[in-house]
Amino acid sequence: MIITGSLPARVAGIDSISPTLKRFRFEPDGPAEFPTAAPGAHVLVTLRGPERVWKNAYSLVTPPEERGHYAIIVRRVEPSRGGSHFLHDVLRSGDRVELSAPASLFPIASLARKHILIGGGIGITPFLSYLPVLKARGAVFELHQFCAISEAETFRGLLGTDDPRVHVHGTGGRPVFEPILADQPLGTHVYTCGPEGLMRAVAETAKGLGWPANAVHQESFAGAAGGRPFIVHLARSGQTILVEESQTLLEALEGAGIEAPCLCRGGACGVCLLPVLDGEPEHRDHVLSEQERAEGKIIATCLSRAKSDRLTLDY
Amino acid sequence: MIDQGIKSRPQYEPLRPDPAGKRHLLLVAEPTERPDAFLAAELDVETWIVVPRDAEGVAGIPLPGQGGPRRFRSPRQMLDCLAPRLAQERMGLRLYATGREDFLWEIDGIARRAGMGKGEIQLAHAGSHARRIFCVHCRTYNEGVTTTIVRCGGCGAHLFVRDHFSRRLSAFMGVKVDAETPGDVPPAEQAYR
Amino acid sequence: MGIPFKTDETFRGDFSYRNSDAGVLRFPFPFGEDTYMYSVNIEPHVRGGPSPVFEHPFDVDEHYVAECRERALVLQNDPKRCQVLPHMMPAQWDTLELIMESLAGDYPEHFSLTRNGANWHWINRPLNIDQRFVFGDAATLPCEPFEYITRQAQGDFTLQDQRDDNLYVDGGMVTTQADWSLEFDIGMTFHEWHGPVPLAHNLGVFDRALRYLLRLQYGHPVRRLNWTMTINPRLDTSPENYPDWGPDRTTVTPDNVAQKVHLRVELQTLFRLPRSNAILFGIRCYLISLQDIERVEKWRKRLHRVLKTLPPELADYKGLTRYRDTIIQRLAPMDDGTPLSPGIGPDQTALGTGAR
Repeated sequence: MIITGSLPARVAGIDSISPTLKRFRFEPDGPAEFPTAAPGAHVLVTLRGPERVWKNAYSLVTPPEERGHYAIIVRRVEPSRGGSHFLHDVLRSGDRVELSAPASLFPIASLARKHILIGGGIGITPFLSYLPVLKARGAVFELHQFCAISEAETFRGLLGTDDPRVHVHGTGGRPVFEPILADQPLGTHVYTCGPEGLMRAVAETAKGLGWPANAVHQESFAGAAGGRPFIVHLARSGQTILVEESQTLLEALEGAGIEAPCLCRGGACGVCLLPVLDGEPEHRDHVLSEQERAEGKIIATCLSRAKSDRLTLDY
Repeated sequence: MIDQGIKSRPQYEPLRPDPAGKRHLLLVAEPTERPDAFLAAELDVETWIVVPRDAEGVAGIPLPGQGGPRRFRSPRQMLDCLAPRLAQERMGLRLYATGREDFLWEIDGIARRAGMGKGEIQLAHAGSHARRIFCVHCRTYNEGVTTTIVRCGGCGAHLFVRDHFSRRLSAFMGVKVDAETPGDVPPAEQAYR
Repeated sequence: MGIPFKTDETFRGDFSYRNSDAGVLRFPFPFGEDTYMYSVNIEPHVRGGPSPVFEHPFDVDEHYVAECRERALVLQNDPKRCQVLPHMMPAQWDTLELIMESLAGDYPEHFSLTRNGANWHWINRPLNIDQRFVFGDAATLPCEPFEYITRQAQGDFTLQDQRDDNLYVDGGMVTTQADWSLEFDIGMTFHEWHGPVPLAHNLGVFDRALRYLLRLQYGHPVRRLNWTMTINPRLDTSPENYPDWGPDRTTVTPDNVAQKVHLRVELQTLFRLPRSNAILFGIRCYLISLQDIERVEKWRKRLHRVLKTLPPELADYKGLTRYRDTIIQRLAPMDDGTPLSPGIGPDQTALGTGAR
């Protein structure tokens, strides 16, 4: 299976799940089916608004066997860079979108003997594609979804109520994870997706119970924090662009109409790496080795920034 | 045939009690005392030991509530008891083992099949460096090999003892040393004591 | 039209294997320069490249039927040449889906795949196979899915599980290997199974290759070429059977070197698999006799130069030591030292008759 470029798609349907949650179903814009997606995979959705283009990553909530359509669930977020507003308010059934090939940064652990899934709010989405796969494999698992009390019914609707392994905890205070993680058999793995605070608390609870680090997995789409503005100069095209405080280097390039390479937009996959000819990078990715970081000759544009005022890239 | 320069052989560090663990199980296959680090550590460590060979198989039948290390007649007997023990265990366990190389990797296999991973298992070499050899041609194991060339007990081939080691099989590879020119077998040398 | 399969050729005994002229010209000659050294020579596995073997994700050629028969013989004598550890069942189905869809899409005159939900219907005309089965239910196939489909593909395959920032070779169909043992290596990490390769570890080749492969993306496979030499067109040069083929290395003389010595090239491809997140490693093996290489002017000259300058540790590791000089002496008079074009292409569209 060789995928070149993006997957042309159309919006097949939009379902309102709650006042802030919508499910978007995409079908292929053409004769072929979509490629098989991994459980826990995400796609980059390219949205072309009147003034800017967004490329946002969303977990697929559809299982691998579903190649006739992909679905995502998006929360309308108030202080957003605009992507969720565009999806909720502007996008219509029948509109064309571009999807990246599905990528997997949150796979099911192959040797886990039991899987504990802990979601917070919209963080439930990757687990919606995990569930049918775990069930089909006959895997031992528990799912715990934490949310505001007002949203408990919504998530019970999404998850169903007849499987005793699936629990929705509507809670007003801070969730407690020790009762869930204590007394688990050898070979149990825990997966979390949700707000930073929730994921950190799960990791700390597991560590406190003596779990090794490799039994704790997390997925996060937290936006890259901003930083000092800086200038980026592209040696090959000759363009010079300002990277503002609140945008990433990659976003600045895209805003200037440049289709820079990218995939996960989370500093993990290495696709966005570009050579640095001049200037000092500030590395925020998870891909480069200590040596590569020290040499300063390559940068992950999706997350990293510059320590110097100016960066020159070989692009 | 010079094979050596293989960088992928296991490297062993002394055992270090891991305070992040909640329970600790220490397996000592060579009949020596518990590693120093564990005597000093203030952790609750359960210890299994193999009794010295001059005990001639007498390990003592444990009494209920009896303290002290659990005693085994041989490494093989200890290995047999590990899987059922781990089947009762929960997350938070750390497993430590010290002994000959073939023993260590059998322990590793049992622990992994029970669901344990790299961060939960420590192995340290003690005792003889004699090797278990896996004949790649007939798949027979040849135990306790100390020489650079050994005659396979299964097929009779003269095997060169390589440094290529399989953790899964807990054995080094043996390959027919005179495969290209049959009969041309160099003299064996003592190398692995 | 389809591929004219040479259904009766053998890779043992009488060694009747031969390349047609077209087979020679499409051979993936591995040397793009006059000297050879290890590198992380990985490139995207896109459709097309300097040799026709790069046209399709999985290459099927005139030797397909004979190679599948040879594989079946190896497995009959040694079932442990195909093993998959229990946790890799999702990767088995991923592999079956990938290979079936590729072959049916790229060679529709030979293979068909019809899917109706989980009910699949696979037809393999060259091997006379017509199989209906339920995708995901191994009981509906005659054997497990990885073995089932790799028995119908050319070349060896391994399944690599990605976990703990490492790759583990946790499954394989290994019947055409250049001297490594699946039974011994299964379960090893990337650095462990590459342990015996000389020199490359010091250059950091495997550290970089591993970091690169850990980032391998779905839909973006990669490839590289590897090479060695074999006496007689023997596919099964396993360590298991070394007592049987080892002596062949001492039978090379100046009179028979051109017929006996074969350049053995592996087209290695790596695909990220969706459900399992594992990597499928394809090791597609191509054989060409020295006699046929001599019919391509650029290749016979370049091979001479590569062998003359090959570091002795590499020659030793690749098993060439006993007959390397015999080959060099044979090729030297054919090499006038003129500069050759870079790249691996033959620079010919028809074969010569050979230099002597």
